[in-house]
Amino acid sequence: MHKLPPIKVSAFQAGLVMGLGAALIQAYFQIIPPPAYGICMVCHPKDLLNWLADHLLGTSWGNVTVSVQAPVLTVVGIVVGALVAAKQHGEFHLEAAREPLYHFITGFCVINFGLVLGSCPIRIIIVAGYGSLIGIVGYACLIVGAVAGSAWLRARARKQIRERIATVQYGEVTSRERPKSAPVESPTFANPKGDEPSPSGKG
Amino acid sequence: MTVPIVTLIFGFVIGYLGQRARLCYIAGYRDFFLVRDTYVLKGMIGTALGAVGGFALFHLLGGNVPGFPMLLDTPGMNLQSAWLFAIVGGLGLGFFATLSGGCPYRNHIMACEGKKTFWVYALGFWIGLVFFNVVTTRFLEMIVQALR
Repeated sequence: MHKLPPIKVSAFQAGLVMGLGAALIQAYFQIIPPPAYGICMVCHPKDLLNWLADHLLGTSWGNVTVSVQAPVLTVVGIVVGALVAAKQHGEFHLEAAREPLYHFITGFCVINFGLVLGSCPIRIIIVAGYGSLIGIVGYACLIVGAVAGSAWLRARARKQIRERIATVQYGEVTSRERPKSAPVESPTFANPKGDEPSPSGKG
Repeated sequence: MTVPIVTLIFGFVIGYLGQRARLCYIAGYRDFFLVRDTYVLKGMIGTALGAVGGFALFHLLGGNVPGFPMLLDTPGMNLQSAWLFAIVGGLGLGFFATLSGGCPYRNHIMACEGKKTFWVYALGFWIGLVFFNVVTTRFLEMIVQALR
């Protein structure tokens, strides 16, 4: 396969394309109503799923006006586009899942709270840009939530670092092998005589 | 047939650009708050500028931008419950999206880069979508009725 030259895009340029594109497809390609609906990563998956379920399984979950006749395929486009970009630039690598239950639950909560808000973190910027006061309040609350989440992440990371330091100082292996009351030498200081192994077993 | 074709093409473009630029709409706040890194935040500023500029421009050029700027003029919306949903949904979405490592858009792109962590995330996301349609919608309807 002929290799295309690598494409470099800054976040600002990509963001500008997204904002302008969302306005453009609403203004000239009938992606309305509801207004400011060009991109949404929680509503468009919902529209796609509801359209498929209503047409294939006969449910009556319902859809917004724009997605009644034909499905909204933004998600499919994003997945295909990201796959092409990752494959083209050699950034597709299979990596094992870490903390699967945690990520399953956060994904579950994100879609439910996102649909309560009625928009994803991208669309809320576009709705706020459309001038909706409710959108601006929702956006402010999203930022507060994100800052609270960041503080929680920092607290968790600090706790993990403290535990890691404790493991290095007192030694996982030695704590299992020795009773708790036994004195433990610090591995950071070399044994001056050099005739006894250090507690971590590396000396 | 305009809607599926336009959204598919636009989705492809933003998926491609998002993968190249590592754009995320939650990491911007997180990185700025934790390490004062503004690379991703600039992408979000770009989106806001593009959206406001685009809507204003296309409104002037006669495009389909009804009621811009919208302010409180939201047709067919129960305002009391809308405020409540904006506050609760905004706080919850911001918090859980930060814990999950990024916005749904970025996490789907990372799933496409082969990270199985985000395959599990996507599984929770789409199962949560079915749960919303079956359970959460009923609950929200009850709240809307109570506040009417």
